Amino acid sequence: MATPYEIQSSTNQTKLTVRGSLDINTAPALAEEIDRIIAAKPGKVDVDLTSLDLIDSSGVAALVKLYKGIRAAGGAVAISGARDQPLAIFKLLRMDKVFNL
Amino acid sequence: MKSAYPPAAMAASIQLTVPGTLRYRAIAVRVVAEAARMVSGSNQRAPNDLLDLDVRDPFDTAVVSAFMEIFNNVAVHAYRHKRGGRIHIAITPSTSELVIEVIDHGETFDLEGVPPLPDELDEHSLPEGGMGIHIAKTMLDEVTYEPGPPNLWRLCKRLPANPLASGAGRR
Repeated sequence: MATPYEIQSSTNQTKLTVRGSLDINTAPALAEEIDRIIAAKPGKVDVDLTSLDLIDSSGVAALVKLYKGIRAAGGAVAISGARDQPLAIFKLLRMDKVFNL
Repeated sequence: MKSAYPPAAMAASIQLTVPGTLRYRAIAVRVVAEAARMVSGSNQRAPNDLLDLDVRDPFDTAVVSAFMEIFNNVAVHAYRHKRGGRIHIAITPSTSELVIEVIDHGETFDLEGVPPLPDELDEHSLPEGGMGIHIAKTMLDEVTYEPGPPNLWRLCKRLPANPLASGAGRR
């Protein structure tokens, strides 16, 4: 299975691009990367969901973990590009306003 | 296999049995997505790309999103990631609704014990779990669970009275 995410890091900023399906099978690997991203304490994390086709509650949990971890350390998280099924899930869970989607 | 359906309706249903682990989730989801498309009449964006699930139509989105959560629930909570269990899936499409029965022989699930989402959501109260059942219940018209053995999930999504109003087009 292709890795559904890509991480680009610079001095104080990280860009996380998620594509394909972020679900109970793929989210655990991303969650491990998220632990590393949080530990690095970047000032800002940009999450690009433009190429994300499907998400389930496990995938949402991984992104929530990222959001809370970065915010708790004083950083900023910008999530963008959610569309179709993932956007519907964020709206259903009322996270679209928190994530400013 | 127990069923809530009369024999005549079952004759038109799609039957699928997969091992009760997450390894087989994608296969089951793909079958359910195609059945949803049969009911909604939605068109695939790239019909030649068999790897593209292309879930955009609101009806398809609701069915696939809910089914994914129920499959996760069975594999994780009923079978606890153990091999050997089976998940029986009966999909009954009609012109007005899609009914999916998911049957397992694993441990029963306490549906009433699932806590509701917080009324007010902010960055501090964002949940990191317990969202799956909420997604399924909210996305569908009916979600019932009959503890077994075997355990039976019954999922139903109806087309809106005017399909064109939801953006779903008929072939």
